[in-house]
Amino acid sequence: MREDCKKDFERLSEYLDGELDDDVCREIERHFRHCPECRECVATMKKTIQLCKAVANEKIPSDARERLMSMLRQCFSRNHTE
Amino acid sequence: MNETATDPVDHRLISEFKAGSMEAMEKIVERYEDRIFTFGLKMCGHLQDAEDIAQETFLNAFKYLKDFREETKLKNWLFKIATTACIRKRRKKKCEPDQEISLESFVPQNGDDVKYEIPDWSDDPSDNMLRSELKDVIDDAIQSLSHKYRLVFNLRDIEGFSTQEAADILGISTQSVKTRLHRARLFLREKISMSYKEGAIQ
Repeated sequence: MREDCKKDFERLSEYLDGELDDDVCREIERHFRHCPECRECVATMKKTIQLCKAVANEKIPSDARERLMSMLRQCFSRNHTE
Repeated sequence: MNETATDPVDHRLISEFKAGSMEAMEKIVERYEDRIFTFGLKMCGHLQDAEDIAQETFLNAFKYLKDFREETKLKNWLFKIATTACIRKRRKKKCEPDQEISLESFVPQNGDDVKYEIPDWSDDPSDNMLRSELKDVIDDAIQSLSHKYRLVFNLRDIEGFSTQEAADILGISTQSVKTRLHRARLFLREKISMSYKEGAIQ
């Protein structure tokens, strides 16, 4: 294992999320210049997140929604007539 | 504690609900039902489980909404309830303990020649076949993540909560959120890339 990779590799998500201080970012970017693997890791990780997000817009099926609403309405009415 | 209070529309609906409006309750459900359902589905993998999660979440939410002091956003509060529902469901099913994901296996090795290829998502609806194959691969990959990593990934990357918000929802440290998120992303990147290479996605 490359020792210089390990330290920066652990922080690549924080780098991607903009959660690191400027000096740490610069340090990582210096590392990128001679490490195509870490550079590519950030790029492919970013793509992975976009891909997962793209398929995450599910809608509750209409029959499930009806059951949910009717259950909540019943509860509501019960609590407000007691 | 979160500094941001709940948004103005939610604030109005909560007040109306407290004053006895059933319509306000329905509007709150309409605003969050798809997100909570998606979260349940991504966490449990089954439509029936996702429906149970949505029911338990809203049932509990309206039971305790009168005591909700709006120190946090309504969305965050609902996800906290949904998270508890997911954890409870998992406990009931007596699932295997979480497998730890080690960072070591992902660190580039000397002489490594592993190429990660992640396909592009097509916005073209005529690519329906490809989109559905790809969706299956992604859903499977997310399902194969251990529960504690899946929770963090869904809250941070799918629902868009900040590190601090996810930590508050889960009741863990921000450092744990960061560590789990990084491992989850690396795991998914490898899984999706492998499926792509093996031809599961054309």
